[in-house]
Amino acid sequence: MSAELLWTPLALGPVRTRNRIVFSAHLTNYASGGLPTEQHAAYYAARAEGGAGLIITEEHSTHRTDWPYEKLIHGFHRSVIPGYRRITEAVHRHGVPIFAQLNHNGGQASSMYSRLPVWAPSPVADPLFREVPKAVTSAEIDDIVAGYAQVAEHCAEGGFDGIELQCSHSSIVRGFLSPATNFRTDEYGGSLANRARILLEIVAAVRRVIGARLALGVRLCGDELIEGGTTIDEAVAVARLVEASGQVDYINTSIGVATASLYMIEASMHVPPGYALFIPSAIRAAVDLPVVGVGRFKDPLQAERALAEGHCDLVGVVRGQIADPEFAAKARAGAAEEIRLCLSCNQECVGRMGLNRWLGCIENPHTGREAERAAATALLRPVARPRRVLVVGGGPAGLQAAIAAARRGHRVTVWERQAEAGGLVRLAATVPNRAELGDLVRNQLIECRRHGVQLRFGVDADAAMVAAERPDRVIVATGSVPARPWWVPGDAVAVCDVRDVLEGTARPTGTVLLIDEIGFHHATSVAELLADRGCAVEIATNAMVVGQDLGVTLDMELWWMRAQHKGIVQSTDLVPMGMDAREHGATVQLLHHPTGAMQARTVDWVVLAVPATPLDGLYHELCRAGLAVERVGDCIAPRRAHAAVIDGERAGSAC
Amino acid sequence: MRLCEPLPLGRHTVPSRVVFGPIVTNLATEERSLSERHVAFYRRRAEGGAGLIVTEGASVHPSDWPYERAPLAARCADGWAAVVAACRPSGALVLAGLDHAGGQGSSAYSQRELWAPSRVPEVNSREVPKWMEAADIAAVVGGFAASARSAVEAGCDGVELNAGQHSLIRQFLSGLTNHRDDAWGGDGRTRFATEVIDAVRAAMGPQPLLGLRLSCDELAPWAGITPEQAPELAAALCASGAVDYVCVVRGAIFSVEKTRADVHEPELYNLDVCRAVRAMLPPSVAVVLQGSVVDAERAEAALGDGVCDAVEMTRAQLADPDLVAKVRSGRGGRVRPCLRCNQACQVRDARNPIISCVVEPSTGHELGEPDGQGTAARPHDVLVIGAGPAGLEAARVAAARGHRVTVAERRPAPGGLAAVAGPAAPLVRWQLAELERLGVAVRTDVDGAELIGLVETPGGMARAPGGIASGTVVVQCTGSRPGRRPFEVDGAAVVLDAAALCLGEEALPAEGTVVLFDPIGGPIAVALAEALGERAVLVTPDQIAGNELSRTGDLAPANVRLQQRQVRIERRALLRRVAADHVVLEDRFSGERRTVGAVAVVDCGFREPTPPLEGAAFAAGDAVAPRTVLEAVLEGRRAALALDGVAAGGTVRR
Repeated sequence: MSAELLWTPLALGPVRTRNRIVFSAHLTNYASGGLPTEQHAAYYAARAEGGAGLIITEEHSTHRTDWPYEKLIHGFHRSVIPGYRRITEAVHRHGVPIFAQLNHNGGQASSMYSRLPVWAPSPVADPLFREVPKAVTSAEIDDIVAGYAQVAEHCAEGGFDGIELQCSHSSIVRGFLSPATNFRTDEYGGSLANRARILLEIVAAVRRVIGARLALGVRLCGDELIEGGTTIDEAVAVARLVEASGQVDYINTSIGVATASLYMIEASMHVPPGYALFIPSAIRAAVDLPVVGVGRFKDPLQAERALAEGHCDLVGVVRGQIADPEFAAKARAGAAEEIRLCLSCNQECVGRMGLNRWLGCIENPHTGREAERAAATALLRPVARPRRVLVVGGGPAGLQAAIAAARRGHRVTVWERQAEAGGLVRLAATVPNRAELGDLVRNQLIECRRHGVQLRFGVDADAAMVAAERPDRVIVATGSVPARPWWVPGDAVAVCDVRDVLEGTARPTGTVLLIDEIGFHHATSVAELLADRGCAVEIATNAMVVGQDLGVTLDMELWWMRAQHKGIVQSTDLVPMGMDAREHGATVQLLHHPTGAMQARTVDWVVLAVPATPLDGLYHELCRAGLAVERVGDCIAPRRAHAAVIDGERAGSAC
Repeated sequence: MRLCEPLPLGRHTVPSRVVFGPIVTNLATEERSLSERHVAFYRRRAEGGAGLIVTEGASVHPSDWPYERAPLAARCADGWAAVVAACRPSGALVLAGLDHAGGQGSSAYSQRELWAPSRVPEVNSREVPKWMEAADIAAVVGGFAASARSAVEAGCDGVELNAGQHSLIRQFLSGLTNHRDDAWGGDGRTRFATEVIDAVRAAMGPQPLLGLRLSCDELAPWAGITPEQAPELAAALCASGAVDYVCVVRGAIFSVEKTRADVHEPELYNLDVCRAVRAMLPPSVAVVLQGSVVDAERAEAALGDGVCDAVEMTRAQLADPDLVAKVRSGRGGRVRPCLRCNQACQVRDARNPIISCVVEPSTGHELGEPDGQGTAARPHDVLVIGAGPAGLEAARVAAARGHRVTVAERRPAPGGLAAVAGPAAPLVRWQLAELERLGVAVRTDVDGAELIGLVETPGGMARAPGGIASGTVVVQCTGSRPGRRPFEVDGAAVVLDAAALCLGEEALPAEGTVVLFDPIGGPIAVALAEALGERAVLVTPDQIAGNELSRTGDLAPANVRLQQRQVRIERRALLRRVAADHVVLEDRFSGERRTVGAVAVVDCGFREPTPPLEGAAFAAGDAVAPRTVLEAVLEGRRAALALDGVAAGGTVRR
């Protein structure tokens, strides 16, 4: 790859970055009791060690009125400073600068944790938190500004190289800047100059305490994607005001509002990479300050191109470095194909954040566990005596087990029944717009190859075959098989599992009733596939929403837009009670459980997205035969891919 | 009162018949041990007269981590000892709640599969658990025994085993969740529970108490435990003589919210099944009634009728920790009422909210939030403007602390919105009764601004000469007013304010379709829609009506009620325009607009605070920012306590 610009150093005020790859600010839920933790330090250090040019930490709250989620760093307490030092020392050990992001979330919060009224420019309730905030007085504005300065002082004392002011996503400064949330009639509302007043006051106050030694950046939203919100022209104008202050060293950019249009901030695989580049592009054309661009950069080539085309001076790669901390180093070494590419699935990073859980990664079981792993030194050492490990099943669980065992020096063989690896993930990646999920398998196969794992395909293993191999350890990862619910007659023909549709063993046509009892992509993605093929599709679920967990991964909005466009009907609160199968098609009886009313659907095909049955026969046979055997993934209980990877990693590293 | 009489239980005597049950608090440490806050929380209930305290259920085995702050029994020994030390001086007995949530747990924290009798997915997460094998069963039985031994060694008077909601033991007992064909299924469905009970008794020895919390109605008669079967089931589980008491509860995987139901269910809903269980069990086994037992007189009646030997009144003691003490001293009428709102005490929620109580915000915050008791060093003349729950609480606490308080209310009746909408009317009645006892005058039909001599000037409200006596401290609790309307309104259109409607200040048209605009997803619009039935169109931007009701557990029940009442629900909809005979809605995703015929719209949306009064030293509740009764009570109380910082002559130090 001809990556010239990516590796060109850049000055951000007093700070020099060795390359243009930024690990920009994002929530982690690693804080404990309002303090940064050892896990924070290990997490950022891993990305510094992996070659990132600049690290910007998650936000540090600047005021006691700001506590929108439980595990927020309370930067306004001096007790954070030792934790700050631990982070900055760990990152500096790798020669990488690290900035702290400062923020007050304003009205995009609730009083649940603080038990104090939420503060905002105007009493406009946030669409997510739905709590009316208190409109701040001018004395309270002074208090907010002072809070930023105080936390900046803590950060300087804690060894940070710079400060970034969060003025986008979820921020009281965003609240002031945006015409959608600022209805003030005093000098902080009305004209853009007035709405930007608090920002410039904060810039001045922070610069005053940090002096010239630290860099100062401002993160601006280029399009809030909400009614009456900030759009690109105003963002450019604000960038000009920021530059004119003469006190700021760089501008970071963003798109969307965290509590209204989050699905475009942390866009899933359904949104094309680089979708937000118009923002840094427009700002860079208007100011001379270095500008950071963000938006689903998962490949160094994309990043290089954004630089080469002049959209930005630095590129934010967050999920790409969550999935692979060595993203930059691998790219730098010319081994970009070895990067564990982010899937933009949002399952364990974004998906866990919204549920108040620590940040993880579907394909990197060490993410979120860096500190724990660093402490478990025994697991990091190669084994003294390599064992022969046989893994039966080449889905994500089996492959991860193989990788983990081989990483420690064991000799690992994987037997897979199919002609290809990847199990259900491979199938799930065949539907429209879900192809990037398949990178999970690609990444695992590359890692298998790197660690010398032997893969054999088309092997339908039984206990005798396994025993004949005389392995020291066996890991069974045989997955699951589709289940038939009680209400489907045994002789029904026009009924199949979503898996059958994806494998091509069933080809439903005409009218299709899809039963969703899983609530994730299983039903919705196959519905799209069938609608694209010309089927008239209705999804029925016993839940209150079809695909209920799509909201967690930020796929709900775009799913609805696509579903409406494709004419997919979504029906809720319906429990299948029986099915009359005919030669062609079937009639399904559905109970509307809130009212007890029965409904019927007569369709050409019924497709099932229902929990599968574990395929654990081999495991039990091997146990009975007295072999040293462990099982992982769906053959324990059918779950999602992250569980398979975690199981596999655990069993593989324990060999 | 029988309520306050001792109860012989096993080889122990419980000082009163009021039990404080094993409630989820989120007070545990990140290491899953019990915290100092736990100790303070239980100590307060013991001091108030609770006879038997069952601590928050602790997981008996590492395979169970159902919510992030779920205690782990293996890390609770010190915490149990501290709770015992804190509660024993008051006479209360302390039992350790022991739990395993089985398939109703979560894999998010353990990063391991869930364990359950059969592969029945959890209803909300839809996670499929692992079918427990013999070794898994033995491990969990062993975990119960080891945990019980540890609790008793820590000084607990025994344990309570959970076979109620969120419980592996119940999952084994029930045909809903146990589809096994081995020794633990079919006719052997009680085997797991029996193994646990026997192992726990063997581990503890004969002296400590063993309680069994048993779901006696899974509300799923097609396969679940029914009230008809429950007495025999209870008898079977008690047959060995190991069990000292049974606490009768209800609910299962499809009805989590029915176990500790909110105000939409009647009080004492387990009365009949509890009576049947009592009748079936030998006298040596005590029976405890659970289920919205919040009123001391009704509890007393249940004890007198032979329904039960003790009553579990957990929420009632969150609302008033001194419940037993008050009843014992003849002040039963002064018990602060539980509203059964579940707003702040239902905390099995991924956000880990700390348990609290709308009417007693110091609950769960015993170490940090003063409960308002005590005497002020310097009494002041205090004028509270506004007699909603914030104003009444400010006045009540201020008066109780010795201040000279007057309350002025603009409306003809006190109580504000809380008196007419939502479940808080009993709180308002209680506050007013307390104010009467304290001799505080609540003047209605009085404009507070006039009273303090404020007049409107071009620059806002200003103090006029001849206002109230200087030195009077004014607390502004004037509530809210309608907020900014995010939709257009045609000239002839009828748009009513939900608050005005509830207060009787505005009236609905006698007939015709009424649109309820509900950007909040809250209880007010849902209640109005239920009342209007098929006349109502509920417009919500969400996928689900009453979206924010999930916190209290009323989300699914509310949607059932709305559909049964034939309310039309317009989901994913933005209200764009209101005309005389129709409204224009816009689909949030497609942007398509549609019209719905309607004669009126009720705006159930966000409100704004009333403007600040210049003469006010403090403000509380909706006048600061329109929120819920919890914030009103909390801030009213804080305002009363802030009077301590007022210098002589009413000067407020900032």
